Amino acid sequence: MARRIDPETRYYAERDELFRALRHLDRRDFFKVAAAAAGAALASGVRFHPTSFSIVRVADAAPAREAFSFAYISDSHLYNRTVNDRFVNSLMRAVDDVNRLDPQPDFVLYGGDLAQLGQPEELELGAQILRSLKAPVRMMVGEHDWFLDLGEKWRSLFGQETYSFDHKGVHFVVLQSVNEKDFWTARRMTPMERMKTVAGLDNAVQSRFEVGEPQREWLERDLQAVSNDTPVIVFSHSPLYHYYEPWNFWTVDAPEVQAILKRFRHVTVIHGHTHQLVTNRIGNIFFHGMLSTAWPWPYAPEGMPALTVQMNRPDPFDPHDGCGDGRVIVHPDGLVDKIYDLWNRNPVQVRSTYLASNGRQDRPPAPNLQSF
Amino acid sequence: MRKTIAVGVTCIAVGALGAALLGSRATAVGTGSGAAGKPLEVLLCDGQTKVQLAADTPRTPEEGRKVADELMAKWRANNPGTDWIDEEQEKHGIVPPADNSDLVGHAAGQVYGRIAPADVVVWQRETLAMVTRGSEVFHSGDQLGSTIGVSCDMCHPNAANTHPETYPKYQVQLGRTALLRDMINWCIEHPVRGPKLADDDPRMRALEAYILAQRKGTPLNYGRR
Amino acid sequence: MAQKRDLRTAVLLAVGLAGLPATGRAADAPQGPHGAMAMAEQRARLAALLPASDAAPAPPIDPVVWAALVPKDNATTPARIALGRALYFDTRLSRDGTVACATCHDVSRGFTDRRNVSEGIEDELGHRNAPTTLNALFFQTLFLDGRAPSLEEQAKLPIVNPIEMGQPDGAAAAQAIAGDPEYQKMFQAAYGRPPGYDDIGRAIAAFERTLVFLDSPFDRFLAGDQQAISANAKQGWVLFNGKARCVSCHQLNAANPLGSDNRFHNIGVAARHQDFEKLASQALGALEGKEGPGAREAIDRLALQTDLSELGRFMVTRNRADIGAFKTLQLRNVGITPPYMHDGSMQTLWDVMDHYNKGGEPNPYLDGGIEPLALSEQEIDQLVELMFTMTDRRFADDNAREMTRQRELAARQRPFRDTALAMRNVFPFEERLQKEK
Repeated sequence: MARRIDPETRYYAERDELFRALRHLDRRDFFKVAAAAAGAALASGVRFHPTSFSIVRVADAAPAREAFSFAYISDSHLYNRTVNDRFVNSLMRAVDDVNRLDPQPDFVLYGGDLAQLGQPEELELGAQILRSLKAPVRMMVGEHDWFLDLGEKWRSLFGQETYSFDHKGVHFVVLQSVNEKDFWTARRMTPMERMKTVAGLDNAVQSRFEVGEPQREWLERDLQAVSNDTPVIVFSHSPLYHYYEPWNFWTVDAPEVQAILKRFRHVTVIHGHTHQLVTNRIGNIFFHGMLSTAWPWPYAPEGMPALTVQMNRPDPFDPHDGCGDGRVIVHPDGLVDKIYDLWNRNPVQVRSTYLASNGRQDRPPAPNLQSF
Repeated sequence: MRKTIAVGVTCIAVGALGAALLGSRATAVGTGSGAAGKPLEVLLCDGQTKVQLAADTPRTPEEGRKVADELMAKWRANNPGTDWIDEEQEKHGIVPPADNSDLVGHAAGQVYGRIAPADVVVWQRETLAMVTRGSEVFHSGDQLGSTIGVSCDMCHPNAANTHPETYPKYQVQLGRTALLRDMINWCIEHPVRGPKLADDDPRMRALEAYILAQRKGTPLNYGRR
Repeated sequence: MAQKRDLRTAVLLAVGLAGLPATGRAADAPQGPHGAMAMAEQRARLAALLPASDAAPAPPIDPVVWAALVPKDNATTPARIALGRALYFDTRLSRDGTVACATCHDVSRGFTDRRNVSEGIEDELGHRNAPTTLNALFFQTLFLDGRAPSLEEQAKLPIVNPIEMGQPDGAAAAQAIAGDPEYQKMFQAAYGRPPGYDDIGRAIAAFERTLVFLDSPFDRFLAGDQQAISANAKQGWVLFNGKARCVSCHQLNAANPLGSDNRFHNIGVAARHQDFEKLASQALGALEGKEGPGAREAIDRLALQTDLSELGRFMVTRNRADIGAFKTLQLRNVGITPPYMHDGSMQTLWDVMDHYNKGGEPNPYLDGGIEPLALSEQEIDQLVELMFTMTDRRFADDNAREMTRQRELAARQRPFRDTALAMRNVFPFEERLQKEK
């Protein structure tokens, strides 16, 4: 019997070659690759995206899936427009960015914290602005949306907060991962007091985020029909791992959730809440944080994942610095490249090869100014 | 100036030990035998504040914590603002000032060198009071005077990323060398969009105190960007 | 006389209505080609402004900073200054003998040319406004996109630019003056070499290092004289450091007296007319494979002769963040160096304030520090008054004339004003989204 080269091995080999060649080019030659990496691999389908200064790999040979991309906008923290103009303008800037993408992404993920204090007018304002998006929107809830009325307004505007869908061979799951154990009843808090407590990132009175047992059970049932080879992408507001507990960069039952996801070959978690460029890998699960449109969080004093290459420390003169939106490119094998479209900076692309190689290849660019 | 009632403080400090609550005789008294049907009443050591529990409430640390929280809430509702330092501490974790108790008792016949434990407590409580006040202002857009609902902790949770140990330094946003309070005022004017604070405004002094406190232990390194 | 004055008034009116540049100088001065004052006149004026300039006194700034500004291979000596001065006013350096540095950096016009964009040989117009040579020595990089790392490099490029001075190359430029025995002597005295292109650049740079004009009413106010500027201007200074957010990019201190942060910002001026994405792709293609001085000359040409000019700093660094970004220019003597912005599109300082007040022109690459300022008319007036106090007192007459002229023009037209945006009733990106619906 003739020896069959495993398509996956060949795919990785071709892609390694492509990226090895790219590493030797300086960043000016965005559009020039062909001469450096000869071979069918390139000829068969690397397309350069003129407006994004990044690489989109299209249509691979063996696997049945096609590559695609989706965009994200996250953590807008809207106030009523008469209270705060900056946050509203920033969300509009993000919508403008995504509408200008050519080609358009398959859908746009909204990553949570649309409102700042969960108020109906804030959520409605956000919904109205997001309606200007040309691509379809998938909503995810954050704690700032939730804790005023425990999801009532959110559900009326956007539907169930936990759901799943399939898209081009990838199974997507959207979780409500910002549940908190009741801390407000005993303290006799009003709904707004509860909301303001949760709204303070460093407010220790609130409980830590969790997915919770009912949702974990739902997740197990939902994934029953999904084969181990199907790429799974989880959208979650909290990071689904343990980063820094005092700031709720934390999901209490992360180990349990990770255990449910363990059997799949490729799992990616895209999370919000951290308002920064953050990368992690735990076994088979690759984690990427989303940027906020409203403001950046500093890196936590401890617990930052080893794989994270920090983004440059933001300049407070520029209320948009350290903020932005972004895209996720889903490759045919189910691994993703995460693009951070930081405003007024070069975009940062965290490639799947960086995570797949545990940080040995394709390291993102180092910042000038680190957190200290 | 807020008064702190010593009794209240002691009671609450003890009452906050949720797990110990149900077991300790010194803190709360449970009336009622817990016999079938009769509700349990838990009384705080001030002799007034009480909380009712169902007779079959399981005696777990979690339940104890809930009872403690409820007693706290009730007592605070009746005595608003008295233990504001502990309230703020609970929310925002203030770094405590240096411990000077090793200085107690060394007098060698000198008037001003004679240090008593009460002195140490006064120093500690006053320092903590200013820092805690700073934490309150730091976390409140309204108290800062923000016109857009922004407070310092939105970019600086627990005063992270403030680097007070690097001042004085050339602050690029100001185009000149600045002290910590210059930068605080700049931040209030721009990201927070409120009116500048006067140098001797108690809020400005408290903010500086809080920011410096949170960075306790970091070596000074002026000029570092 | 009356006739000439009427004509001048008529010209000024026409200029005001059409938004074209005004000359703003004495009507009787002899004119040279391309609207510049005659070179001999200019030299006389300069001698009056800087009588002892060969002595090159150190300027009133931090001496360590001053020492760092002078490169090691071009220490300032009287011989070099004299040579540089001669070259600065010498039209022989241009291919058709009509353009010298002083044509676009005219002593009588604030050391610039008071035109939207500059005019070179064969009356060719470029795409960019000429920055002033006054105090230019303090910049870290030269040109609006910072493509020249030093005064020496900057001086050389216009000489070989096809539409500025038009020499085919540096050798031809040196050739044009090498025959003159006077120059041969001066070059020997200055550099110990026969005339050469690199030394031309060095000498001009040495001369430019004497053009220090930091003695303004504003400086005296900073030094402690409370009577030096008006109450309005003082209030303007408070706004400058506060509500108007100017100081963060227009930094002013003893070590950096310019009023510039030496950085490049997209404040939305270029964004009004073009599709940056398309231009960016074109630029990357045009600059493929070019490095070092070759790249610099290519950028020099593209910046002045093509639409790619609007890309600004992007052509030099090819960073996405630099698309449409131009260098923060100095505030020193800003009153006498209109029109403003990289394309000279703003005729008065009121126009400049209107632009900033409404948050520039939103575009995907807009510097995030630009946002609506909600300044009232009075606050704008105060800031403009402050800016006029930053002119060196040796140009006080010119400054006063400019202030009057600009005030009159601004009273008639304020094309960039948008109060709804400035007062945050409409948000910049909201307007953009609505336009594209």
